[in-house]
Amino acid sequence: MKYMLLIYDNPDTREKMFSGDAGEQLLADVDAVIAELTASGELLGSEALADPSNTRTVKVADGVPMVTDGPFIESKEHMGGYLLVECDSLERATEIAARWPSAPFAPLEVRPVMDAGGEDM
Amino acid sequence: MSDARAAEDLLRGLAPQVVGALVRRYGHLDSSEEAVQEALAAAVTQWPRDGLPEDPRAWLITVASRRLTDQLRSDEARRRREEADALRRPADEHVAPAAGDEPPAEDDTLQVLLLCCHPALSPPSRVALTLRAVGGLTTAEIAAAYLVPEATLAQRISRAKQRIDAAGRSFGPPPAPERGERLRSALQVLYLIFNEGYTASSGLNLQRRELTAEAMRLTREVHRLLPEDGEVAGLLALMLLTDARRAARTARDGSIVPLADQDRSLWDAAAIAEGTALVTRALRHAAIGPYQLQAAIAAVHAEAPRAEATDWPQILALYGLLERVAPGPMVSLNRTVAYAMVHGPEAGLARLAQLEDDERLARHHRFAAVRAHLLERAGDHGAARAAYKLAGRRATSFPERRYLEGRAARLDPRTAR
Repeated sequence: MKYMLLIYDNPDTREKMFSGDAGEQLLADVDAVIAELTASGELLGSEALADPSNTRTVKVADGVPMVTDGPFIESKEHMGGYLLVECDSLERATEIAARWPSAPFAPLEVRPVMDAGGEDM
Repeated sequence: MSDARAAEDLLRGLAPQVVGALVRRYGHLDSSEEAVQEALAAAVTQWPRDGLPEDPRAWLITVASRRLTDQLRSDEARRRREEADALRRPADEHVAPAAGDEPPAEDDTLQVLLLCCHPALSPPSRVALTLRAVGGLTTAEIAAAYLVPEATLAQRISRAKQRIDAAGRSFGPPPAPERGERLRSALQVLYLIFNEGYTASSGLNLQRRELTAEAMRLTREVHRLLPEDGEVAGLLALMLLTDARRAARTARDGSIVPLADQDRSLWDAAAIAEGTALVTRALRHAAIGPYQLQAAIAAVHAEAPRAEATDWPQILALYGLLERVAPGPMVSLNRTVAYAMVHGPEAGLARLAQLEDDERLARHHRFAAVRAHLLERAGDHGAARAAYKLAGRRATSFPERRYLEGRAARLDPRTAR
């Protein structure tokens, strides 16, 4: 089963991640978890997103794209990146989320990925 | 069948025999399996050009052995360079054949399968390794079928092989007490591969659907090697009886057609006859097991010319046995469906309520789907619609969600015909 782990962020976690020894440690921890998930064959993909101040929002109204700078929803927490994993159970995906180094500062969401197949009814 | 297809089938069948021969001679599942993949790739380019060798298996073993010994020699040379005290061991020691006569080539297929289903491996790793070492598929083909990046899958396979080598290569039949368990694990792997292909929606992913054919080919092979094993026969029967419904199970829009609504004239009669004969014989002669029981249930469905003619009391009895042999929440849920077909939807709903204590089952979309179906049959269309909608939201596959949303819409008073 594939799960998407949505990593949430806030200005505090961003600052922590990019400053001082604590930040270096955090990034090293991230590398360690990524290496482990790669070795186990569970990691399908992962990316980190640039700071939300770089966001552009696009919406089409009456066939015309409406483009605005800045996020669609103003909020303290925002998407910071994702992990796409394939593992045996929701419990295992939850365990991976709990071990993510930013989890003590901002939450992650674990969501099953839709499958193209279907079982008999 | 085209020549290319025939050659591919021949290669696939020979792959595990060649892996087996190499592992027996040299040890090292990891490097043996790599060498066989290289030999298979060489065959794909050379055979069409130079013609089929007289003994394809011997050709593959020779080429793979050469690759492997080259590899072992270069490893050895490097080790010598690296270590000041050169090991006083001739490289040829690695290539000495094992003492004793070679066992029949076909037994190797089974031994390699049992090795790939080693208990030290996680189920996804067993599946990946089986498809490569026994099925002869390339990493790229397996990755495409499972929609995972090739690098991820390559990692899974190489780690699996290293684990087996580290666990102490014990090629040849596993010790007697382990053998039964290992065979069950192998059957589970084959069934997982089958289901992965069977549940893939039509037209979407051809490679994934070919997994079904591959699983059936391998199961047929195991059945040929172990004709008296009732569960092997049961699994092959279950696959045949399930796959027989393939053409009828999907509507043109890709949504799932439930068993009750399927056009039974589209069912594959030959596959049903073969599956039914297999399971009938197994139930008579072998120890009973979960695959035989599931196949027997599929056979009872298959023998009904119309859904209304289904022998539900017999299916209910078979589910009762299955629940005793292999208990599990899904078995209990399916048994409840059969119970409701025999005793009515109200009785079924009462029974369903008893299953609600199992939190994981209660959250599952199929639980809501069964509830919806029973409520609909009981005439409570409002509650049924809500349950279908809940089931649809919980489903994690597109065809199932489409089907469940469709059922909900049919009960909507505003859109009802």
